[in-house]
Amino acid sequence: MSTSFELNGSPVTVDVPADSPLLWAIRDSLGLTGTKFGCGIGMCGACTVHVEGRATRSCITAIGQVAGAKVTTIEGLDPAGAHPLQTAWIEAQVPQCGYCQSGQIMQAVTLLADFPDPSDADIDAVMNGNLCRCMAYVRIRKAIKAAAAGMRSAAHA
Amino acid sequence: MLKRRLPRLLAALLVVAVLVIGAFAAFAWRTAIAPIAPPAAASFAAAQVEQGRILAAAGNCVACHHGSAGALAGGYPLKTGFGTIYSPNITSDADTGIGRWSLAAFTRAMHEGVARDGSHLFPALPYDHFTKVSDADVAAIYAWLMTQPAVRAVSPANTIPFPLNIRALQAGWKMLYFHPGRFVANPAKSAEWNRGAYLAEGIAHCGGCHTPRGALGAEKPDVAYAGAALNGWIAPPLTAANPAPVAWTAAALATYLRIGSEPQHGSAAGDMSGVVHVGMAALPDSDVRAIATYIADGNASATRSAGDAAALARAAAVVTSTTDPDARLYATACGSCHYAGGKPPGDARPDLALNTALWLDAPDNFIQVVLHGIGVHDGAPGVMMPGYGRGFSDADIARIAAYLRRTRTTLAPWHDVPGRIADIRKQSDSAS
Amino acid sequence: MHKMRDAVGDAVPTRRGFLILAGAAGASFGFARAFASVEDTPAVGVPAPAPSDLFEPTIWYGIAPDGSVTVNIIRAEMGQHVGTALARIVAEELAVDWDKVRIVHVDSDPKWGTMVTGGSWSVWQTFPLYSQAGAAGRIALIEAGAKLLGVAASACTAAAGKVSGGGRSVAYGDIVSKGSVARRFTDAELKALPIKPVAERKLIGQPVPARDIPDKTNGKARYGIDAVLPGMVHARPKIPPTRNDSKVVSVDDSAAKTLPGYIRSITLDDPSGTVPGWVMVIADSAVTADRACDLVKVEWASGAAAGVSEKAIQDHGASLITGSGGALVVDDRGVEEAFGAARTRIEATYTTSSVLHFQLEPVNALATQVGDTWEIHTGNQWQSLILPTLAKALGVPETKVVMKTYLLGGGFGRRLNGDYAVPAALAAKAMGKPVKMLLTRADDARFDSIRSPSVQVLRMALDADGHATAMEHHATAGWPTQVMVPAFMPKGKNGIAYDPFAISGADHWYDVGAHRVRAISNDLANSTFRPGWLRSVGPGWTNWAVESFMDEAAHAAKVDPLAFRLRMLNGKGGGKGGGTVGAKADNAGSAPNAVGGASRQAEVLRQVAARAGWGTPMPKDTGLGIATTFGQERDMPTWVGCVAKVRVDRTSGNVKVVKLSIVVDAGTIVDPEGALAQVEGGALWGMSMALFEGTEIANGQVRDTNLDTYTPLRIGDVPELDISFIDSTEVPVGLGEPGTTVVGPAIANAIFAAVGVRLRHIPIRADAVRAALA
Ligand code: FES
Ligand code: FES
Repeated sequence: MSTSFELNGSPVTVDVPADSPLLWAIRDSLGLTGTKFGCGIGMCGACTVHVEGRATRSCITAIGQVAGAKVTTIEGLDPAGAHPLQTAWIEAQVPQCGYCQSGQIMQAVTLLADFPDPSDADIDAVMNGNLCRCMAYVRIRKAIKAAAAGMRSAAHA
Repeated sequence: MLKRRLPRLLAALLVVAVLVIGAFAAFAWRTAIAPIAPPAAASFAAAQVEQGRILAAAGNCVACHHGSAGALAGGYPLKTGFGTIYSPNITSDADTGIGRWSLAAFTRAMHEGVARDGSHLFPALPYDHFTKVSDADVAAIYAWLMTQPAVRAVSPANTIPFPLNIRALQAGWKMLYFHPGRFVANPAKSAEWNRGAYLAEGIAHCGGCHTPRGALGAEKPDVAYAGAALNGWIAPPLTAANPAPVAWTAAALATYLRIGSEPQHGSAAGDMSGVVHVGMAALPDSDVRAIATYIADGNASATRSAGDAAALARAAAVVTSTTDPDARLYATACGSCHYAGGKPPGDARPDLALNTALWLDAPDNFIQVVLHGIGVHDGAPGVMMPGYGRGFSDADIARIAAYLRRTRTTLAPWHDVPGRIADIRKQSDSAS
Repeated sequence: MHKMRDAVGDAVPTRRGFLILAGAAGASFGFARAFASVEDTPAVGVPAPAPSDLFEPTIWYGIAPDGSVTVNIIRAEMGQHVGTALARIVAEELAVDWDKVRIVHVDSDPKWGTMVTGGSWSVWQTFPLYSQAGAAGRIALIEAGAKLLGVAASACTAAAGKVSGGGRSVAYGDIVSKGSVARRFTDAELKALPIKPVAERKLIGQPVPARDIPDKTNGKARYGIDAVLPGMVHARPKIPPTRNDSKVVSVDDSAAKTLPGYIRSITLDDPSGTVPGWVMVIADSAVTADRACDLVKVEWASGAAAGVSEKAIQDHGASLITGSGGALVVDDRGVEEAFGAARTRIEATYTTSSVLHFQLEPVNALATQVGDTWEIHTGNQWQSLILPTLAKALGVPETKVVMKTYLLGGGFGRRLNGDYAVPAALAAKAMGKPVKMLLTRADDARFDSIRSPSVQVLRMALDADGHATAMEHHATAGWPTQVMVPAFMPKGKNGIAYDPFAISGADHWYDVGAHRVRAISNDLANSTFRPGWLRSVGPGWTNWAVESFMDEAAHAAKVDPLAFRLRMLNGKGGGKGGGTVGAKADNAGSAPNAVGGASRQAEVLRQVAARAGWGTPMPKDTGLGIATTFGQERDMPTWVGCVAKVRVDRTSGNVKVVKLSIVVDAGTIVDPEGALAQVEGGALWGMSMALFEGTEIANGQVRDTNLDTYTPLRIGDVPELDISFIDSTEVPVGLGEPGTTVVGPAIANAIFAAVGVRLRHIPIRADAVRAALA
């Protein structure tokens, strides 16, 4: 069964069963490995991508659920890898092993879309589903706040 | 007392039985309507075809008549308690579809539940509702169907066992439960209300899901719209008995039917998704509002709205603990989206304390959505939820269900949630 | 333990001088080494040395004609930014700018010596080696540059990748492209090289952006799971019911055969005994392998562990402690006498649960044969350990197996044990094509080398003044080193070998009078699962016991817990009762690694107490708890002090950690940002294992296999952190583990301070707190 959707701005078609996870279509069929596999049950966030601009766990998203939709992965977030959150991530030296970080960043983009000036409670609630096993949480929080401040002032400029 | 009256009663019954059988024979026997040469597409006026397209969408014909060969080519299995009925091909194909049906034959099917050859149709075709549709609207639907591409496709044979498969017996069912007749407007109500009622009762056949059915599968008119369970889902009550904490006003219903989601109530999933995104999608705003007006008139939302502020405040005050293990499970699995941070909930950040599914007597809808998620084309446009069914155990889902029921509603715990999860899983496995 | 570490972790080959090779393509700098003369017994896992004086240049870095410096890193990158930390040591002494430095993580090759990353050893071991290598390079370049400039070498200086003298300068790249560098240093010369004074350091101790970070924000970073080879097929194993001794009775794959893309199921025949009873389900994609695996039915004859429970293991441990077996790791004279004469004797038992690594990238490996060489593409922490096992499994010489280096999606010790490479290799052999094996998360948990559950009994004798006169510490757990590299176990005072990783921490720096430490291997644990090295290993549980017990002892002695500790961290010798026979000769410390000894530990404790406001009154049900440790091991102490502030909800039993204050003395801090990140992560790991993490063995397997029931700390749990480092120019020591060892007992002590109940088992769950309060 083939399913078509838009991946990072380009139309793609994959020939896998409709209940196959989006994650593996992206990683194996389409060869983009920035999106990671951690738990496979929607509990770690390593596989977070955007569907229609919002974060979702691709490991439990059936490919059939996104037919025709716009899907964005970490590779497509910004052509130069310079989204304000990516820049803030480097600035705050967030990643340790780095394995969770694609997912963290993709989730944080949705966080800031909904909460441009997030409180600690907002960050905790929205980011709690993203496990960082290296426990780089302090820096994740710091980078989110820095990016939020930067994005707000850019929006006002 | 009863004993004394029994002989008299028996005699009366016998008389009735004789009369019934006689009447039944007359009633059950219907003539075939002669086949015609399939009408040329050009023979239908464009405006009529367009009118038919909208009505066919509102009736969501494709929901049942789709199949592997096409949207109207039939073959979709409808599982009933008695066996499986495969929907027929209703494309204009002369041999396998309804290409040889005249308008009169089609109208008789819609209004009386009788096929062109005179056989009775199973009430899986909701002719109990379609009978209310005006002649002109039926003609429009006919026009649209006849102008759609013909698809050659033969549906599999039904598996309804003997004797229920005797078509003539349907006549008995009809005699007991079917009340043919076109919609009659209620002069006491507004034109908008009457338009809504005409659509809801007729082509949109809302009661088909939302009205409980009796032992032989007929809707029970005395409890119209009281809500019903079907296919592992609950079609919630559309009456004052609807348990949503914020009243379903006409405005809320209109939003829900138009968009597929309403932030203070929830999203359309399962079959309701098709009703909104296929059915209602074709109707103009005025028709959608009319349906909402008609439904809202019957659910006492005008008075219930008084409690809305309290319900919203209660929802906003809920705090997710970080140390209770069930709360942690919820916060981790669901919290990324189901958190509004004190802001009014939106389609992308639904507040579960307001979600109708949590307040229903049975956990079915909650379980369905957790298991299967909501596709990007269901619910609110562009907002999807992944399905947790493959990764989560029944126990995990039951914990989240119990936790939310405990902390997000004021109602008693649900009954046997693990049992329901297992049943629903089994049902969806066998459906796939 | 010292010997053990050298054997395990010594990446420094015996040197016979330093060699510089120059050619048109650039110059390479490295030690010439003779394989024949490894001091210690050849370590298991070190590729067999050639028994000769054959010199083989090994290359630590090279300079290209464009002036770029490529530094070869033999350590695994798993989040510690080790390449950045190590390469800058070279760059500092070589005097090149950081933007000229490239980092290469190399594949396994005998020329690198032992390849292992763990134990917080990387910086500590590499620092002298790379400093000297950099300095030697600088001197050679100055000499060659001086010739090109036509001035005396003594009149030249090197800075920013240039040699300057006589008012002119020449770039390193130009020097090497002229092929004019030719220099050799003897070992003695090398040792005598001047290393930059601290004040002149430009890179060490300065914040330098880690090289690995940008690619970890844009999806470009390549982990083992991302490895791809043309023509590869995918495998998911059927994991047998017991880790050891399971045998396949039958395999029924009839249902899987209906799945398009399913290829076959292979019952592994493993000559190395690493994965007994494994069946590999092969398919054309990872998803199909996963789904086919669910359809394949395997019947096993399981090993004896099939019925073992956590309780059985712990009960067995407790009974072992009442016996007299095990190794005496510290054995001062006079323990019995001191206990006999004591005014007060206290005793307590501490336990810890099984803990999963749960590194976020489930273990995986891609294996293929290229010519007559086997390539294993995977992330691994200890290539030298698994290479011989792989060779045995494949039936080839070790020289025919090479491990290709990838980033690790978390190590934490899991990938020290490379067992996961074996089934992939065997499947590739059976298939005759590349096989990529990926474990599901649940498979990964069931195949994990978990942190063993532990039981410890501690006793202390106190005199009339509340001073400790003797202490005993008996600890039992599964022993990773015994199970995986028994040859690395040193012998205790009584001649019995022990796993230092399972007892380190008990040999503390407190002056407790006569001290005895006994380590006992829990054989039931060892036979049920493969105990693993997990994030500091033993110090994660020994310090839990020592520091909880110190608190209990302080309260028994009616002395403030801080004061009680400080008076024992006096830097004095061990056994009061007649001298010492143990390794713990002296708490005064010694050069080079432990200069200052217990006095430095006392200092971090004093500082952290001051920062955290020790002694100030706390709100109701809120308390401060203090603890101190010396990190990973006594021979390489990283001094840490911690104060935890917690609030306890008496109704629910929930413990909320409000703040963690930590002061660390790790000597010279090479990479301040990285050091802080390591301590942040380590401290939160400690908290996670104290409150949130723990599973149990049920029927021979871990009960919790995924994040629905296994619940590590999340961002919402993170308390306020106040972490500071002591400014120091001492030898840099490890930072990967210290934070992990100190937080748990500080939290438990804080709970006691808050609500007066003593919890002696981690993780501390709400129901245990409730029960204790009831
Ligand atoms: S891999 Fe998808 S949430 Fe963990
Ligand atoms: S950086 Fe390693 S898991 Fe987050």
